[in-house]
Amino acid sequence: MMMDPANSTLGRMLLDEITPVVMVLRTPLVEESSQKNQLSFIQMLSPFCNFNNIDVPVRTASDQPYRLKKFKLRLFYASDIRQPNVEVAKERLNQVITDAGEKDLSNLCSEPLQIESVLNSSQNEFLPSWFQYFNKELVRTVSFSEHEAFDHPVSCLLAVSSRDEDPISKFVDLFNTNKLPSLLNDGAMDPKILKHFVLVHDGEEVSLERATKTLAEMRSTFGANCCHLLCINSSKDGSEEHENLWAAYKTDSSHGQQLRFFLSSDDLDELKKFVQDLSSKHIIPHMEQKIRVLNQQVSATRKGFRNQIKNLWWRKGKDDAPENPAGPTYTFSSIESQIRVLGDYAFMLHDYELALSNYRLLSTDYKLDKAWKHYAGVQEMMGLTYFMLDQSRKDGEYCMENAFTTYLKIGSSGQRNATRCGLWWVEMLKARDQYKEAASVYFRISGEEPLHSAVMLEQASYCYLFSTPPMLRKYGFHLVLSGDLYKKCDQIKHAIRTYKGALSVFKGTTWRHIRDHVHFHIGKWYGLLGIFDVAIKNMLEVLACGHQSKTTQELFLKDFLQIIQQTGKTYEVPKLQLPVINIPSVKVVYQDHRTYASQAAIHVKESLWRSLEEDMIPTLSSKSNWLELQSKILPKKFKESNICVAGEAIGISIEFKNPLQIPVSLSGVSLICEHSTAASEPNANNSIGDQNGETSNKSATSGNFTSDTSSFTLSEADVALGEGETVLVQLTVTPREEGTLKIVGIRWKLSGSLAGFCTFDSDIVRKKVMKGNRKSKRSTMDNLKFLVIKSLPKLEGFIHHLPETVYVGDLRCITLELKNPSRIPVRKLKMKVSPPRFLQIGHKEDLEVQFPACLERKSSRQSSLRSKTDKVSDDIFLFPEDTAIADGTPISWPLWLRAAAPGKISLYLSVYYEMGDISSVMTYRTLRLHFNIEVLPSLDVSIQISPRPSRLREFLVRMDVVNRSSSKGFQVHQLSSVGNEWEISLLEPTKVPPSDFLLAGQAISWFLKLKNCRSVTDQESASSLCPPEKADVNLLSGSKTLFDLYSSPLSEFHHYERVHQRISDQEHEDTVDFILVSRSQSEENKRANVFSHHICHRSVRTSSPIWWIMDGPQTVKHDFKEPFCAITLKMIVHNSSDDVVSIRCNASDSAVNISSSGNASAASGNEVGWHDLSLSNDIKTASDTPGARVVKPMSSDTVPPFIWSASSSTHYTLEPLSSRETPMEICVFSPGTFDLSNYSLHWSLSSQSDQGGDESRASSGTCQGHPFYITVLQQD
Amino acid sequence: MIVCVAVVGHQNNPLYIQSFTEADDALKLHHIVHCSLDVVDERVNNPKKSSPTLNETFLGLLYPTENYKVYGYLTNTKVKLILVTTDLDVRDADVRNFFRKFHAAYVDAVSNPFHVPGKKITSRTFAERVSTIVKSFGLSSAG
Repeated sequence: MMMDPANSTLGRMLLDEITPVVMVLRTPLVEESSQKNQLSFIQMLSPFCNFNNIDVPVRTASDQPYRLKKFKLRLFYASDIRQPNVEVAKERLNQVITDAGEKDLSNLCSEPLQIESVLNSSQNEFLPSWFQYFNKELVRTVSFSEHEAFDHPVSCLLAVSSRDEDPISKFVDLFNTNKLPSLLNDGAMDPKILKHFVLVHDGEEVSLERATKTLAEMRSTFGANCCHLLCINSSKDGSEEHENLWAAYKTDSSHGQQLRFFLSSDDLDELKKFVQDLSSKHIIPHMEQKIRVLNQQVSATRKGFRNQIKNLWWRKGKDDAPENPAGPTYTFSSIESQIRVLGDYAFMLHDYELALSNYRLLSTDYKLDKAWKHYAGVQEMMGLTYFMLDQSRKDGEYCMENAFTTYLKIGSSGQRNATRCGLWWVEMLKARDQYKEAASVYFRISGEEPLHSAVMLEQASYCYLFSTPPMLRKYGFHLVLSGDLYKKCDQIKHAIRTYKGALSVFKGTTWRHIRDHVHFHIGKWYGLLGIFDVAIKNMLEVLACGHQSKTTQELFLKDFLQIIQQTGKTYEVPKLQLPVINIPSVKVVYQDHRTYASQAAIHVKESLWRSLEEDMIPTLSSKSNWLELQSKILPKKFKESNICVAGEAIGISIEFKNPLQIPVSLSGVSLICEHSTAASEPNANNSIGDQNGETSNKSATSGNFTSDTSSFTLSEADVALGEGETVLVQLTVTPREEGTLKIVGIRWKLSGSLAGFCTFDSDIVRKKVMKGNRKSKRSTMDNLKFLVIKSLPKLEGFIHHLPETVYVGDLRCITLELKNPSRIPVRKLKMKVSPPRFLQIGHKEDLEVQFPACLERKSSRQSSLRSKTDKVSDDIFLFPEDTAIADGTPISWPLWLRAAAPGKISLYLSVYYEMGDISSVMTYRTLRLHFNIEVLPSLDVSIQISPRPSRLREFLVRMDVVNRSSSKGFQVHQLSSVGNEWEISLLEPTKVPPSDFLLAGQAISWFLKLKNCRSVTDQESASSLCPPEKADVNLLSGSKTLFDLYSSPLSEFHHYERVHQRISDQEHEDTVDFILVSRSQSEENKRANVFSHHICHRSVRTSSPIWWIMDGPQTVKHDFKEPFCAITLKMIVHNSSDDVVSIRCNASDSAVNISSSGNASAASGNEVGWHDLSLSNDIKTASDTPGARVVKPMSSDTVPPFIWSASSSTHYTLEPLSSRETPMEICVFSPGTFDLSNYSLHWSLSSQSDQGGDESRASSGTCQGHPFYITVLQQD
Repeated sequence: MIVCVAVVGHQNNPLYIQSFTEADDALKLHHIVHCSLDVVDERVNNPKKSSPTLNETFLGLLYPTENYKVYGYLTNTKVKLILVTTDLDVRDADVRNFFRKFHAAYVDAVSNPFHVPGKKITSRTFAERVSTIVKSFGLSSAG
């Protein structure tokens, strides 16, 4: 499972970084020669210092040699061999980051990746490449430290040019201790260093002979082995091409065709050979040798039990010494330093076992010495050695952790070492796929330096991403942390990059708090960079942040608007989130053949209008004709479109909701429409986005601000939305030309600088078109598509004198004014009103007459009740045939309004008219008017009717009138009974309240007498019998005028009142209707208002169908010397029912009333009652005999004061509505006053009417006689 | 002190998140809770062998950051309850006890017939109850 450690990232890094260092000393002329090729001397040698297969046999401590394959020399000028300046290093690192940021500019504006694609991308292509470089630079900031030996130069390369005067002394001068690195001078390393002398021969300048002479000189001076002649620039014309070798160093210099290159291929070969010789013949053997020597030393002093004990004891003793805060210092000659050198050399020669054993040895020493920095360094190397050996991972990690924490422990000086250690540790973990642990190490590396921390956190985030399973949330979080730090260091581009990465994590989540933060900051930062479009795009995501706190919302909006202002132009945004547009709330109001007089009329349910207009508009068959006609004219595809008329506005109402807690102002809210003339096909592919540039000569859209909108006009609205407010905005578009018009969307300007769009085309639109469901199955877009037809006349309707509030019963005339602004006349006007109980269409002449005088009864009353049949059937009112309206000339028509019932009342009018111009597509239109009035309660009238026992077909009427209004006073004027058969009169003059007015809250009662004057015998002539005046009672003292209740419109209203008040089951004949007329003075215009109250269907019926009265003399004088006095009476019985009634009258003397009743009832055998049927035939004849009954009472002991004589029991039938007079006779035996009520009338409905099914009505009954007193006096 | 409690739905959508600090660190706490979900996922997907039973709802310490300790609890409907505290030494029993009460409160809140499953918990009663539980946690650990 484990790869070769040497091939891992860390392995390569170590083979690169932990290699022998060669210190280079050269004269300026050497540098000059190499600079001819735009290379420094080191650069020139560098490509040849990297050996992939040097294949040198190496024998270190053990006797067994092995072959070294990979080898590298690091060349440094002596001046560079020192600890890098911290500030300079920091500066350079910052530059690295900045450069990387600049390089990334191309990706800056790209969309954030989808998280899936992030996950699928491989690590190498996803990770920014500069991380590697940055990490390397970061590692180098701690190079050449004293406590580590691998950066200490192994050998020294002295280079003198053949052009130099006196090269030998130059060589000596070069190795002048003053110029040497401090490492050599202050004793950290052995100043006795392997030297190698090179004479650089520039073939251009100096002859080869002189160079070889100098070389010989050198050899004699410094020794034959360590001197070398290096020929360069032997190419004369400078046209050699070897760019690729130095590509890595050449990047910053300009690409040079003009640059000359003097190194010939021979030179290159020589360079290569030189470096190889240097490595294999000098440096490696030198190191081998040193390892062996040191190893022997170490073995002698430290290996073995004795040495260990000694060492331990010796170090223990050092504990007492005062502690040096920097830890003890070790010179190169100390055994510790030598072990370290031994370990490092062994490491560099890849003898890791040897290295490890020495490091181990050393680490205990350092630990005991509390030389923490040295200890950490050794631990670090142990960890790396473990890694290279690929064994005991745990130990390796432990060592790295130990080193890391130890470095941190020694304070700020160890910080950068800790960073390096951490980076190596991370790589170690990464090589073993322990990404999660690596991430946490990165997290620990991030120290105080914010920029470095940012880079580390970013790398940590990628570790989370590449861990299995990926920890995306941590990835996002660390990116955000890193971005914040980048921003802190003004690395905005990096900040944007990290946030963008984070966005791909947070995009789909519901963690809006985090997402908003990310979007907002990305937007803000793009704004800082001046990339406004992306900035705005991101900002838009957070605009509708209703879930955020108010301050956050303010911040978002403020910054957003600031960015918008910086752009300096109005910015157009499709699908702007602010305000929220409630697309399902879109309501379209347009007028095809249905036109509306007011907004109120639009909001009435279509079904209501339809039922009103049902009979008025052409019937279905003619409607289909109309459609046929239309389909001939119109292309088929438009048949489904809504139809509207040019010049008439289409209204859209739409809800705007402010999701924020801060007020938002919108301006220029208008619709976006597309218009195309009838001939051209509307371009279906028109998308909003590209409309701006589109200039089709036939279609015009309003998608852009400058477009020619002559074919339609739009309304604009300004809206101020409060906190969380929802506002319904009304917008209109008025097409000017024929064609098709499509409402595409809506646009608005937010805070004056941001233009928002919203199109209605999405599928979520579930729009209600107000105009009913004729085409309800169609898609939304069709509903927003209109076929514009030629301008048509359109009636305008208005009602004059319409009061807002009226009192119940108020009757007044209002005027409907119709106007047609068009020149084309309209005709065949029809009208229908609803509800008829409240509204009636008047007559033309009503306009002229004076109201309410017109209602007053004229001296000669002309022919009474206008029959309803005068009017058009079903209440459709036809205007006179010749009515044609055009040119704005108004016509007026009277309407009668009567407030029938209290409450809020809606009045509907619909006017149908046809076009005078037959050629138009639409042949008719309707005008719909709708009004609301509020009806306040006024007089409350109740009537009680009771029969008057003493009079036949007369009734007592009690009328209670209560003023229910809150403040208004009424004058009760007149009560009329309706119909010709009734007479009404006051029972007695009632006290009328002072000032004649019934004030608010007052009540008054009247008692009236009502008489049915319908002829008993002759029904047909009834109307002529009763003079109409008698049907009215003037209740107002001193007033003579009476209102004619049969005049229009009172009679019509009465009709509907009757219909309304109809008692559910059936209409009885024996009912009476009353109309109470009252008046009041209206405050505003001093005009008398007339109120009519209709009380209908008051039943006068009692429980029995018959009426009777006893008639006879009240007082009789009689000389009682005669045995008895016979008095003749008569009884008039009236059948008021619709059926034939059989009546039997039983008269019984008071004393025997009870005892004889049994017989009496038995005698009346043909009754439907409780009786014995078997006897009926015998006794029937007997009952007809008057004498039979007289005998019975006589037989009793006590003689009653009077007895019924003659036909005391009679039986007859009465035809409906007929009367009969029956004679009665009594015999009185003594003077006195007698009550003749001791008779009873049995009635029974004859069976023929039983099929009427009237169960509620009794079919038979018994009535006791009315009291009738007769006084008989003794005649003197 | 408990600085934050959260209820996270089974699709890792936040259902309820409430901080109990004065400072304006809502965003930070959101992040911490959000990140801890990674750990929850990890715990759920690779249960440790040492964990005594499979049915253990208490997930233990999820996420020791520098200043906070994050504890998790997983209900059997895969709803995660998260606790963020600044206390450095917290007794496991206290946390378990807290989560038991918190879970009960959550169950009561979502049993409300007007609560839409998967939507944020807006019940004020729930919020009050949670804050009571949070306060009592502080007391018990102090005592």
